[in-house]
Amino acid sequence: MLDIRRISSSRWWHKKKSWIFFGIFLFLVFVRISKGSLYKDFFYFISRPFWPGQFQKEVILKSIDQESLIKLNLLKKDNIRLREILSLQQSSNKDNISAVVISRKTGGWWRQIILNKGSKDGVEIGSTVTGPGGLLGRVNNTSLFTSSVTLLTSPESKLGVWVDRSQINGLLVGLGDDQPSLILYSKDADIKVGDFVSSSPASSLLPPNIPIGIIQSIDETLQSKKTAKVLLLAQPQLIDWVQILQVNF
Amino acid sequence: MNKFLTKKLSIISFIFIPIIFLWHPSWLGFLDVQPYWPLFWLLPWSMINGSINGLIFGLFLGLILDSLTLDNNFTQIPGLIFCGFLFGRIKLNSDIFVGHFRYGLICSFGSFLCGTFYFLQILLRNFSDSNSLMFIPSLKNILAEVFLTGFFAPFICSQLLRMFKFSRGKL
Repeated sequence: MLDIRRISSSRWWHKKKSWIFFGIFLFLVFVRISKGSLYKDFFYFISRPFWPGQFQKEVILKSIDQESLIKLNLLKKDNIRLREILSLQQSSNKDNISAVVISRKTGGWWRQIILNKGSKDGVEIGSTVTGPGGLLGRVNNTSLFTSSVTLLTSPESKLGVWVDRSQINGLLVGLGDDQPSLILYSKDADIKVGDFVSSSPASSLLPPNIPIGIIQSIDETLQSKKTAKVLLLAQPQLIDWVQILQVNF
Repeated sequence: MNKFLTKKLSIISFIFIPIIFLWHPSWLGFLDVQPYWPLFWLLPWSMINGSINGLIFGLFLGLILDSLTLDNNFTQIPGLIFCGFLFGRIKLNSDIFVGHFRYGLICSFGSFLCGTFYFLQILLRNFSDSNSLMFIPSLKNILAEVFLTGFFAPFICSQLLRMFKFSRGKL
């Protein structure tokens, strides 16, 4: 008798290979959802012997001196204002976490750094990251051992900032190049090349008065707003050690 | 164990792509831009295993690399899927010398496609802002990436292709 039964192995679900592909796909979806924390933690372990030591000391010390000087001036002014107003946010240095940069993408499409401190060390999403010179960015994602920081230069970064000389607030937007753009929504805003930009005392995302950069050029061609290019004080392509400031400032 | 490693050489090398992507060595870059690493693996893989395999692994690579970058709004998947499919249509060339240069050209083209897809996403998202300032850095990124990918492809792709062929021969 002729057997007309379908050969069972012809169905796709009977093929081992299809299930292997499905399994790989599920695993990768898991990796995607967990934002690659497996890979980042694995990278933490294999890059550990190569973490930077004490080199670039001179560059860092010079930047720290500059930062301290600017910070001191800012704090003096802030103190006077505080005496008058008595109701400003205060930043504390008690909960700072020191971390090493273990992976950096400071050019190209992606502008981020990965640090060797993660949720295990108490780093939280939204924490502020500073380096010698000033603000670098904010923690966007954490894994157990690592945390990823969106740099100020990233197109994803948008922060409220403060122009110290004219005492006005602006928006610092990353454009994907080395100099983010400062947007002031007023055509008459008083800014000059060389003005100092710091984190805004009114910002709910950052502690106040963290040095950010200096205005390098101003574009006044737009009708309703003024934009300026900001030269950042902290240089993420050189920095190996950073400070993570906790969220509860 | 050795036999397993030899057989699965291509899959094992696949695992290291995200590690190199994270490593991002600055001394290898040009204008602070890196070559587009996933294409070096995807080209030989697709050439040997065909378009469908190329497409699937393009998707897999995209999923992993997207998870490592912080941009939640932009994805590398369309570019890599397209490249995987396209690379699968390319026949292997017996002439070694021509083959080497071909890898460079193909990878450059692939990198240009991926870069353009990524740039288009950034443009579409920022369409309302009409931020023309984004054009110059994006163009710089694409061109530097195309140059670097094309420069390194002949060295890396030919070695990977030889490795994959060798591991396939052992199956």
